[in-house]
Amino acid sequence: MSEENKVMSMREAVERFVRDGDTVYLGGFVHHEPYAAVHEIIRQKKKNLTVSRCAGITIVDQLVGAGCVDKVITAYVWNPVPKPAHAFKRAVEKGIPHAVEVEDYTVLTMNLAYFAGALDLPFVAAKTPLGSDIVSQRTFLGDDKFKIIESPFTGEKVCLIPPLKHDVGIIQIQRSDLDGNGQAWGILGDSKYGINSCSKVILCVEELVERDVIRKDPNRTIIPGCKVSAVVEEQWGGHPSYITGYYDFDWSYFLYYDEATKKLEGFEEYLEKWVYGVKDRQDYLKLVGEEKLQKLKAGIQTSGQVNYGKYKPWG
Amino acid sequence: MKFAEDYKPVEMMIISASREITNGQTLMIGTQWPVVVTMFAKRTHAPEITIAFEGGIIYDDFPSRIPFLSADPCLVNGAALCGDSLDTLGMALHGGRVDLAFLSAANVDRYGNINTTCFGDYVRPKYRLGGSGGACDFACLAPRLIVLLEHDKKRFPERVDYITSPGYIDGCDSRQRAGLRPGTGPYAVYTTLGCFKFDSMGEMYLDAYYPGVTVEQVRENMGWELKVSEKVKELEPPSEEDLRILREEVDPFKMYLDEARANISVFQN
Repeated sequence: MSEENKVMSMREAVERFVRDGDTVYLGGFVHHEPYAAVHEIIRQKKKNLTVSRCAGITIVDQLVGAGCVDKVITAYVWNPVPKPAHAFKRAVEKGIPHAVEVEDYTVLTMNLAYFAGALDLPFVAAKTPLGSDIVSQRTFLGDDKFKIIESPFTGEKVCLIPPLKHDVGIIQIQRSDLDGNGQAWGILGDSKYGINSCSKVILCVEELVERDVIRKDPNRTIIPGCKVSAVVEEQWGGHPSYITGYYDFDWSYFLYYDEATKKLEGFEEYLEKWVYGVKDRQDYLKLVGEEKLQKLKAGIQTSGQVNYGKYKPWG
Repeated sequence: MKFAEDYKPVEMMIISASREITNGQTLMIGTQWPVVVTMFAKRTHAPEITIAFEGGIIYDDFPSRIPFLSADPCLVNGAALCGDSLDTLGMALHGGRVDLAFLSAANVDRYGNINTTCFGDYVRPKYRLGGSGGACDFACLAPRLIVLLEHDKKRFPERVDYITSPGYIDGCDSRQRAGLRPGTGPYAVYTTLGCFKFDSMGEMYLDAYYPGVTVEQVRENMGWELKVSEKVKELEPPSEEDLRILREEVDPFKMYLDEARANISVFQN
């Protein structure tokens, strides 16, 4: 167990570990999205960020629209309703609030780039995205995006995918202990290798648990505490998206978000109400309302018990 | 069997496309129409299919509700495997264990190239779309890709502005020259007017049209001079039973069929 106390408020974690100009990995594949952390980044007016985000929903839209981001590496930015990510569109098409550069990937190539990043591999080779403009059109990554070569083993064309690494990674998962041994279950998308490709990690969890809870079910740990800089206990930190076993997807909120943010003024009003107008997540949850939260709470479905066995000492 | 009379073009599209699925197959599917097509197939002729979703789910059960997106939490319950994208897009699709794949698309061109990224210039586009998601991976790797979209002339340009997901690229052998494996690539496109397939040069042609649609009408709604199969045929309408299953069992709240997903009042009650 580490000596240092990693458990802190979202405000402190973002103040200490997210710097202007950082390359930031945002975890989660629809599931496990760190909305509470992103709202705090916006409140603290972080700027010139490069956001690396495989396939999320409105979280990048909010950061870009708030003016925190210069560059985006992504496979997908949209509102799942499905509707456009209006603020992201405004930034890319019209440079509002300022221009952002986008580097497009695919879900698989981004997963492989995170895998290479986490293991510090020089590259991985794949048969995707050959033949697409994702290979031929590049912005800020230029020659460092992909390279097509003939395999030295088979002679067939392959796409080399270099690692994506990050200054800081943020994810909202189910639980961890005080050391930040973080456990996640449900759809994991790119989260495991993504969060392990970051120099610093802010781990946001629905629940802090005793160290024994983790140690009696260690298969569920996706990141060890030794790689985690800050642990933030933030219930409902993934709303309006969902956390398996905790709460369901708030579909109506995404419909509301679509309507509210179609126009620039509407987007600014949205931020004023839901981000700048609240001091923290607890305040935000009051706006969502207890009745809504109760409706979204997940029911219970458990599996049969898993036996890891107990092993006798030698002698 | 009695044919249905009162059905919508999207219902015909869903039911026709579902017939491409054989019971027991393994599928990789994207969000939107592929969800309805596969859920319909499971309730009718192909109950034993296995579906892989890009977020990391491998699924062969019946969900508690029609999934809204490929990462819908309802798919975790009953999943055979729930893990990473590397389990599905990686080991299932890139690993060669998928029989066919379904995608929804915004734009499809003469050679089956799909654009879901942008209109106009890439760096400063006139209109920015969502991006590939896993679609490009499907298009590069799947042995049999089936594309679904509501028919609109604007959605069938001769050449897409940006190839998000490669079809036969410039035709002839350009797909192989790009390094994509033989036996992969688009197999069919189903729209609200008919079904399109690809000739040996990789060019899309009209294979079949729906009842009440004419070849001329399809031709007029394409962005290029469309080739038509010598054996072009009119497809049979759905049966009354198929339509009942689609409406009452697959999508009873009309989340996709009437786009109730986009209606906030449905969720506030």
